[in-house]
This record gives sequence, structure tokens and C-alpha cells, in this order.
Amino acid sequence: MTKKYLGKPITRNEDPQLLTGQALFVDDVDLPDMLHAAFLRSDYAHAHLKSIDISAALEKPGVVAVYTADSMGDDWAPGPPLVSPPPTVKDVVFNSRRQVPLVKDKIRHVGEAIAVVIAENRYIAEDAAEDILVDLEPLEAVVDLEAALKPDCILIHDDLESNLAAQLVQNKGDYQAAREKADLIIKKHFVIERGAAAAMENRGIVADWDVKSQHLTVWDTTQAPIPIRNGLAARYGLSERQVRVIAPFIGGAFGPKMMMFYPEELVIPWAAIKLGRPVKWIEDRRENFYATTQERIQIHEAEIALTSEGRVLGISDQFLHDTGAYDPYGLTIPLNTQSHLLGVYDIPNFTSEIKVVFTNKVISTPVRGAGRPQGVYAIERLLDMAAKELGMDKVEIRKLNFIPPDAFPYEQNYIDQAFAPLIFDSGNYLPAIEKAAELIGYEQFLKVDQPRYRSEGRHVGIGIVAFPETTGVGPYEGARITIEPSGKVSVATGVGTQGQGHFTTFAQIVADQVGVNPRDVNLVTGDTAEFHWGTGTFASRGAVVAANAIHASAKAVRKKILEHASKHLGAPEGELEIEDGQVRVADIPRMSISLGELAELANPLRGAVEPGTEPGLEATAYFGPQYGATAFGVHSMILEVDVETMTVDILRYVVVEDCGTVLNPLILEGQIHGGISMGIGNSYYEKLVYDDNGQLLNASLADYLIPMATEMPYIEIEHQETPSPLNPLGSKGVGEAGAIPVPALFAQALENALSDYDLEIRETPLSPNRLYELLTSKG
Amino acid sequence: MKLEGEYTFDGPREQVWELVRDPDVLVTALPGAKSLEQVGENEYEGEMNLRVGPVAGVFAGRLVVSNEQPPQSCTLTVEGKGKQGFVDGTGHVNLEELEDNKTLMKYEGDVQVGGKLASVGQRLVDTASKSIIRQGLDTMNKALVARVEARETGEKVDFTPPSESEFAVSVAKDMAGEALSSTTLKWVVGAAIVIILILVLVLINQNGL
Repeated sequence: MTKKYLGKPITRNEDPQLLTGQALFVDDVDLPDMLHAAFLRSDYAHAHLKSIDISAALEKPGVVAVYTADSMGDDWAPGPPLVSPPPTVKDVVFNSRRQVPLVKDKIRHVGEAIAVVIAENRYIAEDAAEDILVDLEPLEAVVDLEAALKPDCILIHDDLESNLAAQLVQNKGDYQAAREKADLIIKKHFVIERGAAAAMENRGIVADWDVKSQHLTVWDTTQAPIPIRNGLAARYGLSERQVRVIAPFIGGAFGPKMMMFYPEELVIPWAAIKLGRPVKWIEDRRENFYATTQERIQIHEAEIALTSEGRVLGISDQFLHDTGAYDPYGLTIPLNTQSHLLGVYDIPNFTSEIKVVFTNKVISTPVRGAGRPQGVYAIERLLDMAAKELGMDKVEIRKLNFIPPDAFPYEQNYIDQAFAPLIFDSGNYLPAIEKAAELIGYEQFLKVDQPRYRSEGRHVGIGIVAFPETTGVGPYEGARITIEPSGKVSVATGVGTQGQGHFTTFAQIVADQVGVNPRDVNLVTGDTAEFHWGTGTFASRGAVVAANAIHASAKAVRKKILEHASKHLGAPEGELEIEDGQVRVADIPRMSISLGELAELANPLRGAVEPGTEPGLEATAYFGPQYGATAFGVHSMILEVDVETMTVDILRYVVVEDCGTVLNPLILEGQIHGGISMGIGNSYYEKLVYDDNGQLLNASLADYLIPMATEMPYIEIEHQETPSPLNPLGSKGVGEAGAIPVPALFAQALENALSDYDLEIRETPLSPNRLYELLTSKG
Repeated sequence: MKLEGEYTFDGPREQVWELVRDPDVLVTALPGAKSLEQVGENEYEGEMNLRVGPVAGVFAGRLVVSNEQPPQSCTLTVEGKGKQGFVDGTGHVNLEELEDNKTLMKYEGDVQVGGKLASVGQRLVDTASKSIIRQGLDTMNKALVARVEARETGEKVDFTPPSESEFAVSVAKDMAGEALSSTTLKWVVGAAIVIILILVLVLINQNGL
């Protein structure tokens, strides 16, 4: 079978609909008799809730209901656990404390929902929410990670002994022995700060309970509609068939829209059932800042042990991870960090301790990168510092330590975020770094360009870093493909879509198998009425797990097409080819039948379907990988710093990305561009600032800076393909790749640009102010 | 947020003390204060309109005076709550006698803000608070001077506190002043003058004068 469409830069199937305003988003759902919800949220980060007086709010004309935790009765319960508890290995601690629908007795972060007003419109609902009187007793807020673990610190969860949410130690080899043998040991303290996902579309939910059919329909900006459907059914005593969750077009998600069972996701459907009327809630931007999850704060004590030649003998890294007020995602993020602490390097000895800490801040859950940028930051920074100490070139020290291409599958000998052994399935790092160095003109820059810039008084530096990205984890996804009598193809899969180009990439896979144009493939994603098996879109798994399920399903349909056509045309299957919607005998083009006609023949109105066969040209198939596929890449940039204003300008940005088989280079590059934009934000612009009282001080897009077109460089991308042996397409994920290496790269390039200042960067993000402070504190 | 500063009143310490402990004067000194009622021996409740940048609203507050050492010092505890957030603060006020019948007030305090006031108004809270305090004290000083004069002359001297809008204008001026550094300000003023001159010339030409 030929690859006519797969791997080609086909423009997106979904764009005409999106660009002409024809796409359905949650806020477009407008039902008769629909009510609107507004939440009353806490202004305090930590407080005992003593009483709530809703009487004034209830009296406001247009208010239909006001609910608090008490109104929910037995339906009030914390969200379900989203990850399985860690295996009972020695000294493991895991205190699962999940977010609640509405605060019952204790407020644990600013923005936590206390009550909800349901009214005839949003204006009334918001006004009435302000009329609710809440009596609370403020408590000292826990903000600093190190202070949170001190024995006398106030407790966020009173039933626990401390603010420790989880603890886990992992070892590989014998780090202490390696340390004793080492010629050079470097120990550093790294701080990675918090950022927002800041998707263009905020969250939103519309729930509709049809009393007569006893059926609940929920439109939700979720990345994982199937788990939400299953969870809602379980919680409210409904059969899964009575609940339909639709995740329509979504304007970006980046992690926080994963299955969370956010308070609103539990309360809005509950209210719709109780009132028997549709209820809509659309998050506003300020709510998004303190009611939607965030990520990244970690504090690392990292150490590297090397020989005098620059060979890394071991890494030790003890780190604190801020989970915020609750920990619904358990150890997922810090385990991802651990999985990336050794980067793409063959390092025999490793010891690392995770301490997950509760604080009075918004809950931390995966945001594009999900722990990986922190791990890559630590290892890449350590390598830079070691290279400097040893007088080595930064490319050379990396080359020297790469996992060699014949070592795959490479077993890391510790566990990943799924508590399964961490294995890098495939990789080929050397050509990637050589290509990147060549494209950016690494040596030429250092030898010729940089001295020239210096002589002109300009501060221009170069950086180059390598990184892995564990992607495409299980458990599984599925798809159903149907050839319709029109000759067009219908595909349904369970994952939701938030801008990843699924309607195109998946169509390309199907088109090659069943011999149609990708424009004739109609895809439905994220509607449990269409397909209700699967988990969701996260962890860079769509192009691996869902794509291979679609591939398997398309192959099964192809088999059916050939069987039916062989019978109809009286020719052996081996002589048939499918192209342009026609099945024909290869050497006799006039002997042919269209896919549409064949579909009708396969679903006869009279006669009998033969025993052992199924009607129609349709197949459903599933795919679950043995373990995740590990992509990788090398990023390089040339950066100029204006030492008067501390503003930066990225003059060049080069990427060599290897995410296995390229499905659609156009979409792949778009993913990388988006990731890099977030990475640049995490390097120099985007920082959520909490004060000592747990107040988020920059909860608006006026104060929280997201890189704009003016901050984005032109990005040059080269593709390398090392297919994954774990799936038939050979694909690996790329959704998070762009964001992962940027803070480490940015720090290296900045240090290089400011080499005459002897600057050492150990934190991200910086900002013009912060950089100025760092430079002046050096004297 | 830490607040500290000092202010010189043009009057003797005893009279400044009386002023500070007089709710009718305090209500005029607080910009936007709508009322201040004594509800206990040293406890007052009231309402105040506050505007900090884009955040505006009514705050209901409680003021408690404690650790009184007349006429020298006291502690003020403020709790304010409104639809736009909350303000909690504690401050210590100390009065020192100076020569020429003047009094030096030193104050220091710690203020917590929360809600929209913190998350959206943060950039302006610092400047706005300082400005509000400075102007409040200016108003009190004017009231003080009026009282001192009244005592001296035996006649009642009229004192009109500034209106809320006058206050708002002054706060806005203070904030603009802080936003633009003095050098920038000169340029802005310079540019404005040039633009006005050009406009005048254009108008003159159009009118054929």
C-alpha cells in the first residue's frame, strides 16, 4: 500500500469551518429555557468557613437557585482519584486529597468555589453572588515550599501530620560510589516557577437534563470526555448510556482541561438535573487564573558527578514539587521530572527524591511539558556548568554522554509516571545535534560572529540543548470507521480535539488505507454518543495511541473492502487496488466498483448476510502500546541582550525534531511553534506571582505576560525520523516537545551573551527586572 | 504590604491627638468615606468608596483603636470587606512634639489586600495607598489649622473637606506622577506644548488671521 497522503503537508480539513465561524464551541450552545451560573469564589487563600448566608442572593429577581456544599447533601464528595496510588515501595508516602465541588468547611486557595448562583442570565447571577455573605476565619497562608514542610507550619489538611502530599525515592546504580570516584562534583540549587496554560478559550460547561428521556447531555471543554461521562454517571447514579458528554471544538487546552472533575464539572450537571433546566457556565479570564489548574513550581538540589574528561558518572537530585491545595494527579508531574533528569544521556548512577508539597495555591496538574521542562532544565544546566568548569565545548560534552544508537531499547532501571519501568524505545541523538549545530552555524558563530558582535558592543550569545520527550502512553484508544453509501468515510474516535489538527492527520491515515481523498473523510472526536471507549487527549498521545487505533481500524475496513470487491469483481484480492474511491483490478481498469456501491452491497435490504460476516464496510479497532514512545530533539538559538533595558531579541531559532514517522509536517511544525512560544514564556515572561498571603497578584492578561508575535522568532525546523518500534505507524508524540527545552536553552544562550558578566542562571522564568538584579548583584 | 512614613502637623500634640480620635474628622480625612460610626468605646464601623485603578467599589470596614497612650501613640486595626475584595491592616501611630508648636506623626503598618483588589489592582495598590494616606493627612492638617485658628481668634473658622471627586483627581495625579519618571514627564509636557502650538498655528491659518 502506498503512502499517498501520510507524511504530506496537507492543509487542515477543519480550517474552513473554524475560520468562517462555523465551528461549535461550548459557549455557542444556546438551549431554550437555559439558565446561567456564576460562582462565588474565595478572596482568601486559607480560612475556616463558618457560615454562609444566601438569603439576600435568593431574593434578587431572576435568581432561580443558590447552592452551597450543604445543598448538595449526599451528592457532595471530593473528585474521584485520577491516577492509581503508587506501588507500596519502601518509604513511599502518598496522601491523596482531592478538590471538592463547593467548599464545606475549609478554604484552601484563592478562587476556590464556595457557592453557585443559578439565574436567568449571567449578569443577575454575578450580581447575586456578590450578595452572598460568608463568615470565615482567615488563617495564615502556606505559600513557600520549604516553609510548608517545617514542623511548626500550619496545616492545610488538618487530618495530616504535615503538608507533605507525597514522597518517593528512586535509585539507579550507586550514586554515592560514583561520587567518590568522580573528579568533579557540581551542586546547584534550581528554582522553576509557576505559569498558566492560558488557553485562548477559557473553560465552559453546558448541562441539559431531559426529564422525559431521563438523559443528561453535557457540553464540556474537556480533553477527556469519556472519563467525564463515566464519572458523572457513577456519581449521580445514572447508567453510562444516560449520559452523553460532548467536547466540541475547543480553543486550546494544554493540560488543565484534562479529566479533573473541576468543581464546575460536578456542580453544573448536578444543578441541571435538580432544576430540570439547562444550565450554562462559561469561565471568565480572571476565574481562569485562579480556578483552572497551573504548573511548574519545583525547587531542585541537583548534583552532577563527572570524570575529568567530561563523562557523567551520576546525577543526584532532591526536589520539592508544589501541588497546590490538592493533589488529584498524585505523582504524575514529579515522576515525569525524574524521567527527564537524565536527559538523553547514558548515566549509570542516579538518586532522586521527590517531595510533593501542599500549599495554599491553585492546584498543580500537567501543563504542556508536565514536569519534563523541569527535569531537562536541571540536567542541561548542570552539563553547561560542568562544561564551563572543565573547559569543554557544550556540544562536545553532550555528544560524549549521549545514549549510543545501538543501546535501544534503553532501560533506565527506574519507574515512570505510570509506575512502569522507564524505557526509551528508540533514539539517534548524534545526527540531531550535528545537524542543529550545522544549521545554526555553531562554530562559525563562536569563532567569527560573536567576536564581531562584541567589537560592536553587542551582547549576542548562542545556546544548544538536547532533550527527550516521553510520549504516547497507554492505556488505549479506539476508533470506528464506516464507508458510507455516498462513498465518503466516517470516522469516530474517543479523544477530544483542542486544535491539534486531528481532522486532518487522522483523515490522511484513513485515506491511504481505504483509497479516498482526505477531504472525503469525516471525523468525529470527543462525543461519547459517537464513540465511548478510550481516555483522552493528553501526554502527547493522540498521534501515537489514537492514530494507531485509527490505522488499525482503517486496515480492518480495507480488508473488508477487498473481500467484498474480490467476490463482486471475481478477481483475487491480491490483484485489486483501491484508489480515488474505486476498487479495481490492477491491470484491467474497467473492472471496477466504487466504494459507495460496495458499501450498499455490504448492507443489503434483501437476502441474508452470510454467517460469520458483519453488515456494512465498517470496523472498530483499538490500540494500546506496550509502553510510551520517546521522542527527542535539539534546539539552538542565537539571542541578543540589550544591557541597557535587559530586553532580549532571539535572532535565530533552529529545531531538529525527531518524533518518529512524520504524519503531517505542517501540523507537526505548528505544534513545535506553539510549544516554543510557551517555552519562551516560561523563560522570560510568564510567571504567576503569589504574595505571602497566597494572593495571586497578576491575575489578568495585562499583568501576566504571554509572548506575542513580537517576541516570537522565525523558527527553522529540520525533521529527523527514527520510527518507534512500538506501533505500526512508527509515530511518537510532539504536542509538548516545543515547550520542554526552551528555559534551559534560553539560560545557556543568555549566559553566553553576557559572558563578560560571569552570570550563572539557576532559575526560570527570568524577566528584564530579574536579569538586571542578577547582573547588578554581581557588582 | 508595608506602609510607613511621617507627617508634620502644624499644631500642638494634644490637638492632633484630639483630631485623630474624632470620628467626624477621620471621616473627612478618609477619601471616599461615607460614614464612620462609633459602635464601642474604641470601635468604629463605616463605609468607604475605594477606587484603585480598574477596581472600584464600596468597602464596609471596622476600625479598632487599641494600646492608647494619650496623647502619644495608639494602634489602629482596620478590617475592610467589599465585593471587590478585602483590606486588613494594623498600624501604629506615634506623635512627637516638635518646636514651634508642631507635631511629628510617625506611622508604620502592615496591610493585606485580597480578591480583585490584589489580583487586578496590585500594580496600583502601593501608590494609591500612599497617595490616600498623604492626602488624608493633608486634610487633617487643614482641619487642625482651622481649629487652632478658631481657638486663637475665638471665632469659628470654616473648614470644608475636599469632595470625593477632588480626592480622586489628586490620587490619579499622584499615580500618573509615579508612572512617568520626571525625565519622561518633561518630555511628555514638552511634546504636549509643541502639539498645542502646532494646533494653534493651524487654527490661526485656517481662520486666515
